[in-house]
Amino acid sequence: MSSPDEHRPAAEEDLPTVPSDARGEREGAASGEGGAAPSTADWQRLHPLSVWASAIVAGVFLVPSAVVGTVVLVSAGQPLWALAPVPGALAFLAFMTYLDMLRLRAVRYRVTAERMEMRSGIIAKAYRSIPRERVRSVDVAAPVYVRVFGLCSVTVGTGEKVGAGSEQLQLLYVTAEQGEWLRRDLLYRGTAGTAGVAGDSADGDPDAGEEAETELARLDRRWFAYAPATTATLGVGLGAITGLLGLNAQTGGVGWDWLSDQADLPSIAEMSSFVMGRFLLVVPLALLGLLVSGVIVLTAVAVETWWDYRLTREADGTVRLRRGLLTSVSLSVEGRRLNGVTLHEPFVLRSVGGADVRAVATGLAAADDKKTSAKSRLSPAMPRRRARELAAGLMRTPDSPLDGPLAVHPREALRRRFTRATVVTVLGAVLAGALAWLQTLVSAAWWEVVHEAEREIIPVPLATSTVEAAPSWGWAVLAVLIAAVAFWYAVGSYRGLGHGLHPRHLVVRQGMAIRDTVTLERSAVIGWRITRSPFQRRLGLADVAATTAAGQGVYAARDVGLGQGLAWAGEAVPELLEPFLVRGDGRGSDEPSHD
Amino acid sequence: MSADTPRLRPPRHRVDKRAVWWWTTRSLTVAVVLTVIPVVPAVIWEPPRFWLLLAAAVVGGLGLLITVVMPQWRYRVHRWEVTDTAVYTSSGWLWQEWRVAPMSRVQTVDTARGPLQRAFGLSNVTVTTASAAGPIEIAGLDHALATRVADQLTDTTQATPGDAT
Repeated sequence: MSSPDEHRPAAEEDLPTVPSDARGEREGAASGEGGAAPSTADWQRLHPLSVWASAIVAGVFLVPSAVVGTVVLVSAGQPLWALAPVPGALAFLAFMTYLDMLRLRAVRYRVTAERMEMRSGIIAKAYRSIPRERVRSVDVAAPVYVRVFGLCSVTVGTGEKVGAGSEQLQLLYVTAEQGEWLRRDLLYRGTAGTAGVAGDSADGDPDAGEEAETELARLDRRWFAYAPATTATLGVGLGAITGLLGLNAQTGGVGWDWLSDQADLPSIAEMSSFVMGRFLLVVPLALLGLLVSGVIVLTAVAVETWWDYRLTREADGTVRLRRGLLTSVSLSVEGRRLNGVTLHEPFVLRSVGGADVRAVATGLAAADDKKTSAKSRLSPAMPRRRARELAAGLMRTPDSPLDGPLAVHPREALRRRFTRATVVTVLGAVLAGALAWLQTLVSAAWWEVVHEAEREIIPVPLATSTVEAAPSWGWAVLAVLIAAVAFWYAVGSYRGLGHGLHPRHLVVRQGMAIRDTVTLERSAVIGWRITRSPFQRRLGLADVAATTAAGQGVYAARDVGLGQGLAWAGEAVPELLEPFLVRGDGRGSDEPSHD
Repeated sequence: MSADTPRLRPPRHRVDKRAVWWWTTRSLTVAVVLTVIPVVPAVIWEPPRFWLLLAAAVVGGLGLLITVVMPQWRYRVHRWEVTDTAVYTSSGWLWQEWRVAPMSRVQTVDTARGPLQRAFGLSNVTVTTASAAGPIEIAGLDHALATRVADQLTDTTQATPGDAT
């Protein structure tokens, strides 16, 4: 492990050369569009325009609110106070811009043949250095307010998982050409010296390298139809509508009153009595409304995220993802670090025949599994067949590991799931029984209190009246419904289990709510973890997990038969587990048993 | 299951016998503390005394049971082995875990000992790989042995090429 101290002397001795010539060069690059070839062997600064980008973003929010403030104060008869907001906002803006300028001036970075270095900080100085061979991914992002200045941000990811934030190095902002050059150069694993390479790749026009690319996927707009296929659709719709209702409540109902005056709509109270009167008509309509608003929101998000989506493999094996409408993103992953893919199929998307593809790669790790997973997305939701093709293309295998048959897990795994389903069923029955008992117990006065409370919270109070009106057999239906769902889930979850082997990859599949089929290069396995709970030991099962530096770090074949799982693991990485295995009566075996 | 179904053979070496006493002391300490927590208010307050003492009895009984059973059980499960090519450990009692890591993927090797372990002359050896699955830990080795194992591991690791990812 290298400590920063080792490199400090070299860094300091180069530093004094910065002010005059580096600055001149940067300004030259700024004025002549694409004229100056970027060279980063010297210490560089961030682009001076990035201050204005930040200032404009702040200004877009601050100035209108200041204007609104002025108008409000004037109409409130406080003309003296009305002079304050606009100059105040401008002064604040100027101050922030000044601070930003100081910050910008303090930041310097350079890329040498061995490492990328960055210095920053006005008061607390920071020096960070990443050895080039540790660079696993380069993320170039350009939100719309930065793009208009021809700038972008560059985030360099390493495979290190030490502490928060320290595995990344972020430049806010550099020119688009500079970002593109950094992206190419940092991931380039050539044998020649960096300076030469830098000159070559940067001199040509941006399209020079494109011919060597192979395109793995390009956006098909029909794929946006898959975007709303999530369990979140209703929830997002609910979120959007509650957001509007919340806004209405914030303004003390003025918004709706105004709207109903204009459009001659009934008031809230009238609406609510209408709803109570035509229950069966209104509830489906309300659900439909939620669905539609959810569809709109999710499609809009998908369009913003995946517009202009292209996934390419460049000549040196680097996989490059480009996407985004307002924020254009370019993420590059070194080909060697892409150790596998995940075919991600959440339940709703799966039932409409869609899937998306995620990377199992080193250097894409974020703070937690969820963020890692989000950052690893290499495709929008697309038809399953297309997703499988894309996965095969990413793994560079003619016969995709995803197409091979997967071994079925023992029936005992199904028994475990049935046991869990039984527990859920019993709990559901207890819950339903308790609710039924409560309903017979509570008095009318108590219901009054609950209705009152609900009216305070929800604009259309329906829930408690439904509960009060529900017949006693309703609870039995609830219990049966819970049981049915639990057992259906158990069977689906068992069917989802599977593991298999391919000449270069191992494959594990699991999950009902979210079914993930993971392929992992056998050479990327850096150990095995076998875990058994008391229940698994009783049934002869085990979780056999491959540990790896890529992705989430552990990929498990769950509830596999112990012998079956060990045979699989032993075959997947022959040298590793074999010395610790014994066969039944001393006989060796070449064939794995999948019983 | 057919006759040629593979099984895991246990790693070669047991941990130090003193580890049983270490686990017993540790478990007993936790059990005593958890039992005392409901006893203190029971002494002060009259009305809920019965229930608090009942809780204390349940917690204490359970703690005592674990203190008696767990160390022996662990001693039978916890094993370790270091070969020229890999580290192999087993651990746990109710939930058991077997870990294998090849020498070429080992990043760092540490020994560590808490005050309680020091009292029993024991040490832990922690073997870290690049995986997020967490380090492999051999708990409760004789201190001198742990140091020797760590040295041996460090030597073997350094002799093996690769950047451990």
